[in-house]
Amino acid sequence: MRRAYIERQRGEHGRKSVAVLPVHHPKELLTALDLLSVELWGPPGPPRGPDVGRVQSYVCAVARNALAFLAAGHADVVDAVLYPHTCDSIQGLATLIPDFGGCAKPALTFLHPKGPSRPSARTYLEAELRSLAASLEGIAGKELEPERLRAAIALHREIDDTKARVLAGRARLPLADRALYEQLRRGEFLWPEEHLAELRALEARLESAPVQRGVPVMVTGYVPEPMGILDAIDDAGAFVAVDDWAAIGRRVTRAQTFDRAGEPFRALVDLYHAAPPCPTRHADQGARMRHLLDLFDRSGAAGVIVHEPKFCEPELFDVPAIKKTFADRKVPLLYLETELEAELPGQTVTRIEAFVEMLQSSRRAA
Amino acid sequence: MITRRVQYEVAGRLAGPALFRLEAWQQRVKKMRKGPRKSAIFGPPLECVSKLKELMGTHYLQGRYADGAVPVAWVTSGFPVEILRPLGFHAVYPENHAALCSVQRVVPELSDAVEKEGYARDLCSYARTDIGSVVTGKTPVGRLPKPDVLLCCTNICQTVLYWYRALAAHFNVPLVLMDTPFVYGEAKPHHRQYVRDQLEELVDVAERVGGKRVDPEELEEVVRVARDGTRLWGECLAASRAKPAPWTGIDGFFHIAPIVTLRGTRQCNAYYRMLLDELNDRVAKGIGGIVNERHRLLWDNLPIWFDVRGLSTLMAERGFNFVVTTYTNAWAEAGSRIDPADPIGSAVVAYTDIILNQDLNKRLDTMRRLSRDYSVDGAVLHSDRSCKPYSIGQIDLKQRLAKELDMRVLVLEADHGDPRAYAKEQGEGRLTAFMEGFS
Ligand code: SF4
Ligand code: SF4
Repeated sequence: MRRAYIERQRGEHGRKSVAVLPVHHPKELLTALDLLSVELWGPPGPPRGPDVGRVQSYVCAVARNALAFLAAGHADVVDAVLYPHTCDSIQGLATLIPDFGGCAKPALTFLHPKGPSRPSARTYLEAELRSLAASLEGIAGKELEPERLRAAIALHREIDDTKARVLAGRARLPLADRALYEQLRRGEFLWPEEHLAELRALEARLESAPVQRGVPVMVTGYVPEPMGILDAIDDAGAFVAVDDWAAIGRRVTRAQTFDRAGEPFRALVDLYHAAPPCPTRHADQGARMRHLLDLFDRSGAAGVIVHEPKFCEPELFDVPAIKKTFADRKVPLLYLETELEAELPGQTVTRIEAFVEMLQSSRRAA
Repeated sequence: MITRRVQYEVAGRLAGPALFRLEAWQQRVKKMRKGPRKSAIFGPPLECVSKLKELMGTHYLQGRYADGAVPVAWVTSGFPVEILRPLGFHAVYPENHAALCSVQRVVPELSDAVEKEGYARDLCSYARTDIGSVVTGKTPVGRLPKPDVLLCCTNICQTVLYWYRALAAHFNVPLVLMDTPFVYGEAKPHHRQYVRDQLEELVDVAERVGGKRVDPEELEEVVRVARDGTRLWGECLAASRAKPAPWTGIDGFFHIAPIVTLRGTRQCNAYYRMLLDELNDRVAKGIGGIVNERHRLLWDNLPIWFDVRGLSTLMAERGFNFVVTTYTNAWAEAGSRIDPADPIGSAVVAYTDIILNQDLNKRLDTMRRLSRDYSVDGAVLHSDRSCKPYSIGQIDLKQRLAKELDMRVLVLEADHGDPRAYAKEQGEGRLTAFMEGFS
């Protein structure tokens, strides 16, 4: 499906495309250069090629599947691959594939700074963004015009704002979790203007009063894969009232104003530092816990599901703090680990059912 | 504060050395009574070992009294510690401490404690061990001083960052980050500038925590000592180019401790001068680290700390010696680039261009060079279950090394710290089959 879409974008709009590994990348730069960004979160399911054997089984499925996928030529339709500086595994892939073979497409890196918004990091990030922009210009075969970058930033602000409104009004949206998240995830490959149009259509469906009758839960984790997790939550009688999945909610920068007349690269630096706390960008752990509590309180959720990929160091190191934060508040919490399986294992479905049942009976008792 | 300072100084200058010298003397007496015991597979033990124990034992003993006496920093192994020395910091190396815990086989107990809190067993075993030690207060070194500041450099991995974030939340102390962008090909100028800017920010923080300003002359002197120490360490390793190698790569894993934890101090250099003299003497006399060196191997990645003895015995019995390791070599290369005339500028390169922060082509180059320089005829790549940065790429490295250098290469799956992640019998079986392939 994505291949056909990428080819159509090329045929109809002359747009080249870039495959992008998780998690954070300045999509505005690609949009401004008329480059389609196609994110590669795995892909899910069994590895799609024999090169998976080139990395050990104790590396996460996201990195393993991406290697297999790229090396088997499934991404031959794109014009380059972008590796953000997310974790040791993606950092490793960014040398393994270009240096030792697997994908002949140009390899670009985005070595975003880690840590707080200190002067060194701000200066560096601006330089890194400019350096990435120069590489992308080479792929796009055109120069980046500041006005187009400003327009792209404005477009992506609009996308985030709309997404934030949709997510904030989740209980008023007459849509099952799976249908909603499938729509939201189309942003991983759609041309941004198309994605915005779809989001606006979603927003138009928001009712004036809550329509979701299930138990509201909050989910924090990496990526909603397998998507069956959403069916399981729904079927058990709950719905995702708010999410902090790295792929979805954690990438929505809320309520950030942007000076249309200002220097666009500096605006990108501000936006980077205004994004919700994420361990892959080394957010302070305390700040992240406060952010999660805030999300939880605002959503009215009755419990928390922590949904992580096995072997993911950035995510897993925060799990004890998350468990403790919610235990201190006596909030029920369910911990799940998955590996991009095609189907959600039956045992996990049973655990979700039991968890939701427990939330339901606590609600009844209250 | 004054009493604490006195305790700290007494532990470091008098009690520690006296205690460990007494222990060494007792050992010697015991040995003399029993008569010399000659190993059939290993060369005579290095005389320096007792000095190493004294040096490291004193460091940990002194550490018990450090908090409240001097500023205390917990630092990652690749952190530019030179900046702290003129400010009188006591530096604690959680990685070194975790290695020690592994050798003492207390990792499962410490890790269990944090697994109960939600740390997954797949996470770096150094991190689990140290956080476990913090949570339980248990450590084979008696006590670790509480940090005033945490200093974390990502030139070895990103994992240290997640680990130190958790420590910062636990201790509620500042975390200073040295973020060293990974080097693909050549580092870009703005990457270098970023590291330089952070080093300058670090000086400000360190001065604030240390309560005084860095004296440029003192810093220059520390950098000179650190560079000389690193070079001495490199010369010690290079002694193994001789045939037979005067010690084993496994010995090297233990003797690396001073260059990691005491880099930039005179004791560190004095120790390596002594070790180098001894190694040169052994080379002159033809004394090998193992008795019958028939094959020379390269080891890649961290050691399997909890089983180094078992593993080296298994190998030595059949005439195999690890004469060079990428891990110990890394400590001889990076630091030798720092320049007393330009402490900050040279530290940028020294602390960025290190093996784990560079692409796989560079790693392959290093392995090729070491294989040739040390005349190895095989290699064991330790696929370290809980150290992804060092392990990703090894399957390709194996093929390339084997093909280009026409040598036998084995990928051995184990773990640097946690014995529960190593199937010993299976591992030994694979090593035995590997060795049989040489005959
Ligand atoms: S380790 Fe985590 S952040 Fe890195 S690729 Fe895997 S799932 Fe993504
Ligand atoms: S053992 Fe590996 S993962 Fe752990 S701290 Fe060292 S380099 Fe990082």
